[in-house]
Amino acid sequence: MTASGEPSPTAHRPAEGGGDAVLAARLAAREAEALRAVIAQHGPVLHRIAFRMTGDDHEAEDIVQEAVLRLWDQAPTIAARHSVGSPAAGTLRLGGWLTRVVSNLAIDRLRRTRRLSDAEVPDSADGAPLADALIAAEQRDGQARALIAALPDRQRAAIVLTYYEEMPNVEAAAALDMNIKAFESLLHRARAALRQAFAAQGDAP
Amino acid sequence: MSATDPDPGAPIAPGSPLARKLDDFAAPSLSVGFADRVLAAAEARAAPDLAPLPPLRRAPARRRGWRVGQRVVIGLASFTALASAAAATGLLERFDIPVPSAEKVWASLTGKPAKVAAAPVAPPPVPAAQASAAAALAPVEIVGPIDTPEELSEAFRRIDAVRDGRFAARQSRIDQRIDAEIERRRAAGLRVPTSEEEAQLRERIDNAQARRKQRVDDVVAARREELARKVESGEALTRQDVLQPLREDAQALQRQQRLRELRRLSPEERREALRRLPPAERRALIEEFRARRAEAAAAPSPAPSVEPSAAPTPSE
Repeated sequence: MTASGEPSPTAHRPAEGGGDAVLAARLAAREAEALRAVIAQHGPVLHRIAFRMTGDDHEAEDIVQEAVLRLWDQAPTIAARHSVGSPAAGTLRLGGWLTRVVSNLAIDRLRRTRRLSDAEVPDSADGAPLADALIAAEQRDGQARALIAALPDRQRAAIVLTYYEEMPNVEAAAALDMNIKAFESLLHRARAALRQAFAAQGDAP
Repeated sequence: MSATDPDPGAPIAPGSPLARKLDDFAAPSLSVGFADRVLAAAEARAAPDLAPLPPLRRAPARRRGWRVGQRVVIGLASFTALASAAAATGLLERFDIPVPSAEKVWASLTGKPAKVAAAPVAPPPVPAAQASAAAALAPVEIVGPIDTPEELSEAFRRIDAVRDGRFAARQSRIDQRIDAEIERRRAAGLRVPTSEEEAQLRERIDNAQARRKQRVDDVVAARREELARKVESGEALTRQDVLQPLREDAQALQRQQRLRELRRLSPEERREALRRLPPAERRALIEEFRARRAEAAAAPSPAPSVEPSAAPTPSE
């Protein structure tokens, strides 16, 4: 299930009948409107994935921007491999391609951040007064965020893709460049770690 | 994990407490104007991408004989160049192979005495700052035993010079990496940090560096006091005594810290934590524990200094 109030992940599903191949051909022809269509179609999902992976809104936007620009750069090659009308056109899924790029970029940044960051650096304090309800909501959000952030990078990606975005295991495995058996094992470990962390927070499932 | 869900890796049931907790993690939407920013960045990098590739420069087909001859000529030319270079640099003289100079050859032809070779030109002086930086990055030079306080303080001075040089080099590398990352983001059309954000980042890194340096300084100061006491008592120290124990002390401190952390874990967690350690580190920890246990057993006090049930056993 998804977090409440969010669009259904089915918005990320590929266009049928080689629609993505047409989109790729338009991108290859450097049509700005095609790029805008890609952002409108896939941007929100990619942003949610990147945000839940990194926990940082600006970082998530950077990742999505870089992924979309990589698609823009690679569009001529992708369009040539999946030319409109060819059998390969029906297999092209730009959403899956972008998800893979975003997942890899997010994992790269998490590793880089861990190398550079110092655990003793405190969070920036916010002195603005907040309403009680807002404080409670933030506390709940912080606990959920801490649960996800405590997972290792790839386990985090597995939970974000399968739980929050309701991706089938096959697609999530493809996004992480893993075979299905290895991914299922990773997902199993991720759920177990999540339950353990949740229990440690004091709320038994 | 609950009693009704024995498999900890089972799918998360919708509506379960864990699912409700996870659903509290809401994601914000993309900022306004995101698509416009990406389009602008794409437009900015569109021109070089669209430039046509140059035609391949395929070499015309040539006959085999010329190809072989070409390789022979290249090989001969390379050998000649290497031989000339060896002669010019005096390499052949090191192997006792006589190499006549141009003056001697000319004198033998004309019958006149050979001129005295000109004095070698001194290399241009290296800038002082560069030379001092290079010297600071070189290994510490300590020759012979150290048995007076003056020699010990001189050794400490040389070590400090090298440490300061390494610290400055590390700072410089960090600055270069930050600048390179900002430049990369700018070139890629990504958001670059504002001057305030950049200043904050540099301040955080500087603070972390300062804390790290302070920790090392504390260890070094304690060690130096110990070395000074040894010298005052008439003991002669070697280079290894002055340099090596610092690293060993740092590792011992880390091991002590690790032991303290392990003691706080339950036996199962401790066994798992030990299993995750590299074999060498695991062995060192176990050795350390054995030594401490032996010390505790030899001590006259009846109270044990470590809890036997909480410390790692060799079988672990």
